[in-house]
Amino acid sequence: MVKVTYISVSGVETTVDGREGDSVMATAVANNIDGIVGECGGSMACATCHVYVDPAFAGRLSPRSDDEEAMLEGAASDPRPESRLSCQIRLSADLDGLVVRMPEEQM
Amino acid sequence: MSDTIELAPLDEAITIAALTADPYPIYKRLRAESPVLRVKSVGRTFLTKASDTKLVKDNAALFSSDDPNTPMKRAFLAHTLMRKDGKEHMRERMAMLPALMPKTISAHWAPLYERLAAEYVGRLPRGEVVDLFPTLAGPLAARILAHIMGIPDASDEEMQRWSQVLIDGAGNFGWRPEPFADSDLANAEMDACLERNAERLRAEPDASALSIMVNSQNPIPWSQIVANVKIAIGGGINEPRDAALTILYGLLSERDQLAEVQRREAWAEAFEEGGRWCAPIQASSRLVMEDTEIRGYRIPKGDTVMTIQASANHDEELYEDPDRFIVFRERNPHQAFGSGPHHCAGAHVSRRTVGAILLPMLFDRFPDMEIVDPGSVVWHGFGFRGPLNLAVRLK
Ligand code: HEM
Repeated sequence: MVKVTYISVSGVETTVDGREGDSVMATAVANNIDGIVGECGGSMACATCHVYVDPAFAGRLSPRSDDEEAMLEGAASDPRPESRLSCQIRLSADLDGLVVRMPEEQM
Repeated sequence: MSDTIELAPLDEAITIAALTADPYPIYKRLRAESPVLRVKSVGRTFLTKASDTKLVKDNAALFSSDDPNTPMKRAFLAHTLMRKDGKEHMRERMAMLPALMPKTISAHWAPLYERLAAEYVGRLPRGEVVDLFPTLAGPLAARILAHIMGIPDASDEEMQRWSQVLIDGAGNFGWRPEPFADSDLANAEMDACLERNAERLRAEPDASALSIMVNSQNPIPWSQIVANVKIAIGGGINEPRDAALTILYGLLSERDQLAEVQRREAWAEAFEEGGRWCAPIQASSRLVMEDTEIRGYRIPKGDTVMTIQASANHDEELYEDPDRFIVFRERNPHQAFGSGPHHCAGAHVSRRTVGAILLPMLFDRFPDMEIVDPGSVVWHGFGFRGPLNLAVRLK
C-alpha cells in the first residue's frame, strides 16, 4: 500500500491507501475524492485530473511528456511548475506519503 | 483464448426501429438479462453495463476506433482523427485541442458565446409559443462552432446542413447512393470554405481551430486539417443542440427541481444530468483487435462491439431511479462524453457554453417558460438521440 494525501481547495486533507501501479487519479476516483474528475479514464484527453504535487516529491516523478505539458497549458486552472495530470503519476513504494493539492477548478 | 468459451448470446428480435423509438426499456432488460449480446439487426455486440463500456473505451490497443467497414470514410472523403488510434490519433487531436481547452474558452469563446446567445435569445418573442429546436438550439450551436472552427462566414443553415449530411452519410450502412451524393456536395462546399478561411487566418491568426492548425510550427497535413474540422462539424452541432433541448425538457418537466436549480444556480449539475439522462451520442463502436473475453463470453478478433453509453448512464449499479431526471444526485459519473483517448474534444466547450451560459440566460429572460404540450415532444434516435421539437410558451 502507498499512502496518498489529497488536499482540497478549502484545505481538507484526505489520506487513502493506494495500490502500487495505480495512478493518483484512479486512486482518487476509487475513493470518491472530490476535486479530481478524471473523466477520460487516464488517457490525457480531458485535463480534469490536474493536481499540484508537493515539491518534496518533485524529484521522484518521471518528467512530463509533451502531450501532458500541452494539456496542462490549456487546463481550467493555471498550471504551475509542480502541476501534473494525476493520471500520469503511477504509485510506487518510493512515493509513499505523496501529497497533492487540487486546483480551483477542473472543468 | 480457447474456442470452448461460448460466444455471447444472439438476439434476433431487437429491431433498429424499436431502438430508434425508445431504446431505454430494451437496455434496461439487457443490463439485467444479457449485458453482452450479439444483436443481429445491428450486426454488433452490444455492451450495456457501465463498467464494460468504460473498460472497452479505455483500452484502445485492444478495441480500435479504426473500423474500415464503416461508411464514415466515404461520407467524409477522409480518414478523420475519430477513426485513428495511437500516436497518429494523438498528434491530430493535439493539433486542434488548444482551441477547445478551458483556457481558450475563457479567453475567447465564452465571451463570444455570451454575445451570440444574447442575440439569439433576444430575438425570441415574449408571450408566444416557439419551438426552441429550429429557433435557438440548432442555430446557436452552429454559430458558435463556426467561430470556434475558424469559418465564421459559413451560415447557420450551411453549418447545420453540412453536419446533418455528414452524419447521414456516416450512418449510411446500406451504402445507398443518395446520402453520399449529398455529402459529396457538402464536402465540396466545406473544402472551399476552409480554403478561403485558411488563407485569411494565415494572414491574421486567431484562436480558432483552423488558425491554430494552419499556423502551427509543425502542422499536420492539409488533408487532415480539413478532415478534422469536418469531424467537429459532424459532431459539434447536433450534440450541444440535443443536450440543450434535453436539459430544458427535464427542467421544465420537474418544476421543483428547476426552482432549486435557479435558487442554487446549479446549472452545471443540470447540464451533467441532462447528458446522463439522454446521452446525445448514445453509442460508439470499436473493432476488436485480438480474441478476448467480456463477462465470460468469447469476443473474437474482428468483431465490432458497440459500447452503449446511453445504457451505461442508466446502470442501476451506479444510479438510483436512473430513468428520472434528477439534478441533485450525489455522484454522476456519466459517460455522455465517452472515455479514453477519444473522449469528446468538445466537452469543455459544451459545458462552458450550454451549461454555464445558455441555460441561466434563457431562464433569466423567461423564468416562467413552460412546455405547451409535453406529449407532443417527439424523442428520436438510436446512435444519436434527442427531442425533435420543443414548443414552449415564453414567459
Ligand atoms: C453535449 C455535447 C456533446 C456530446 C454529448 C458529445 C459526445 C461525444 C462522444 C461520446 C464522443 C466520443 C466518440 C467515441 O468514443 O467514438 C465525442 C467525440 C468527439 N467530439 Fe463530442 N460531444 C459533444 C459536443 C462536441 C462539440 C461542441 C465538439 C466540437 C467543438 C465536439 C467534438 C468532438 C470531437 C472532435 C470528437 C472526436 C475526438 C477523438 O476521436 O479524439 N463534440 N463527442
